[in-house]
Amino acid sequence: MGKFVLKRLASMVVTLWMIATIVFMIVNVLPGDVGRKVLGPTANANDVAALNAKLGTDKPLLEQYFRSLKNLATFDFGDSFQTGGRVMDLLWPALGRSAKLAILAFIITIPISIGAGIFAARRQDKLADRVVVNAGLGSSSLPEFVTASVLLAVFAVKWKIGSVYANVPAGTSLFGQLEYLLLPAMAMVVSYFGYIARMTRAGVITALHADYTRTATLKGLSSGQVMRRHVVRNAMAPTITVISVQIGYLFGGIIGVEKVFNYAGLGTMMLNAVGKKDIPVLQTAVLMVGIIYMISTLLADLLIAALNPRVRLERGS
Amino acid sequence: MSLLDPLPGDAVPGDQVPGDAIVAGDAASSAGQSQRKLARKENWRLIRRRPSFIIGVLIVSIWVICALFGSLISPFDPLNYRTGLNMSPHWSHLFGTDKGGRDVLSRVIAGARDVLKIAPIAAVLGVIGGVILGMFMGYLRGWFDTVASRIVESFLSLPVVLLGLLAVTTLGNSNWVVIGVVSTLFVPIVARTVRSAVLAETELDYVASAKLRGESTPFIMFREILPNVTGPIIVELTVRIGYAVFTVATLSFLGAGPPPPSPDWGSQVSDNYNSIVSGYWWSTFFPAMAIASLVVATNLIADSVQSVMEGS
Repeated sequence: MGKFVLKRLASMVVTLWMIATIVFMIVNVLPGDVGRKVLGPTANANDVAALNAKLGTDKPLLEQYFRSLKNLATFDFGDSFQTGGRVMDLLWPALGRSAKLAILAFIITIPISIGAGIFAARRQDKLADRVVVNAGLGSSSLPEFVTASVLLAVFAVKWKIGSVYANVPAGTSLFGQLEYLLLPAMAMVVSYFGYIARMTRAGVITALHADYTRTATLKGLSSGQVMRRHVVRNAMAPTITVISVQIGYLFGGIIGVEKVFNYAGLGTMMLNAVGKKDIPVLQTAVLMVGIIYMISTLLADLLIAALNPRVRLERGS
Repeated sequence: MSLLDPLPGDAVPGDQVPGDAIVAGDAASSAGQSQRKLARKENWRLIRRRPSFIIGVLIVSIWVICALFGSLISPFDPLNYRTGLNMSPHWSHLFGTDKGGRDVLSRVIAGARDVLKIAPIAAVLGVIGGVILGMFMGYLRGWFDTVASRIVESFLSLPVVLLGLLAVTTLGNSNWVVIGVVSTLFVPIVARTVRSAVLAETELDYVASAKLRGESTPFIMFREILPNVTGPIIVELTVRIGYAVFTVATLSFLGAGPPPPSPDWGSQVSDNYNSIVSGYWWSTFFPAMAIASLVVATNLIADSVQSVMEGS
């Protein structure tokens, strides 16, 4: 197990270096003048040169690249173009707010979608199964901002359920925060429900037809015991993988949800950075999303290994 | 990555004719080809019979008609016509008017054009790039595959929308930039699928016999292996078109889509969602529903194609 974790951590470092390189390449793909981009075409040439000198963007590309890697290694990402403050001072609170929204979304999504997946698998090809499968296909194909804006119109504005703005006023109780966060979280629930439910269903169907399930039934276990101890436990591996990937990818969709509900999370921070061409903030935010993805898939692999001794042996050796 | 992505090693019924291809002769290879054609015909017949496919095609056709003949159907000029602001849906303006006094129905019809131009082109280019990269990775293996796999993996650890937002921000909005960015970001995803399909094929005898015949590497890759992995590639293409619609709509909502004044659906939602609070829901709701109908329809088509091709 220890060897497995070490190997995974080493490969994470390589992936992180590649992500940093990809992001650097995208940002510098045009031989543009960063100072000119930030200040606009009408700015004074001296101001542009001064800004470039201050940002270090007048240095050769290779030198800038190594500096950005050094920034990553020391976890110091420099200053924001717009505010002049430290990038991380800006991003940490925003990331915290996004995480709060995301955690609420997953607390709702995981039991509902796993339950629906098991429910559908046990009624394979019956009407209830078809409904879950097709609802899952439909809901997971909708962009998050589409669901969010429809929920906003129907619930917050028409039926006055939930708040139009998701920003929680300071000092609100934990339960009181639900009023603000429930609708944006539901928009994410709709998007993630489909994949997780369909993956659980597929896993459970495979496990239901497996030999060990027949053995368990034949040796006289009740159907509840068979489901709990044999079917669900074995069916969980692909579901856990899908959940971990969803956690990594949720930042693609949360931007839209945050925009619709004017929520001051990481997504809104990125959109502001886009508007102001604040490259350090944008670049760092994307790197953080990559780190979150890697951590969540690592945890999923560990969880799968913990559930299944065979995986542990295979990957450790 | 998603449920719609074919799993590695999935058999593709009707597309494998290794038995015939072992014999290197004209008669045998033409027999293989006609068998393949027959299997393809049978798959196509099965796909056409699925209700979800028919519904998907109907909805997509409606939007294609809007994109092609929008100016003939739409009741008003989508860009320049102006009347009362935020008028609720009524006989004269079925979907109401937006905050600029423009007819929402006309703008929804005109909004089909850019997304239906960008998404399929981006998906096709992304699949072509991904097929080429995946073929080389799966066939050559060795160091090339190891390095490329690591790069592919790094791309997959970032959401496409996020990288797209970053890239369009640095490159500037234009339809071709959006196409270029989305298709480039699809290349690693497609390559991973194609690689695993090709890996399974290279084990088969017809590849060994082609090597013994002294065929060149490009010939083996593109004339021998490629025809046998068309199944996963077609599935991947239909799935990618759905994702491309999703991605373009989201980028456009975030301000990184087709440049203004395009009445693209995503930009319409972005322009008007702030007026939902004042009760003007229609200027957001109808373009949002247009996006929803198109993504669901493309996914219905992709799901039917995938179910038939993978024999479930």
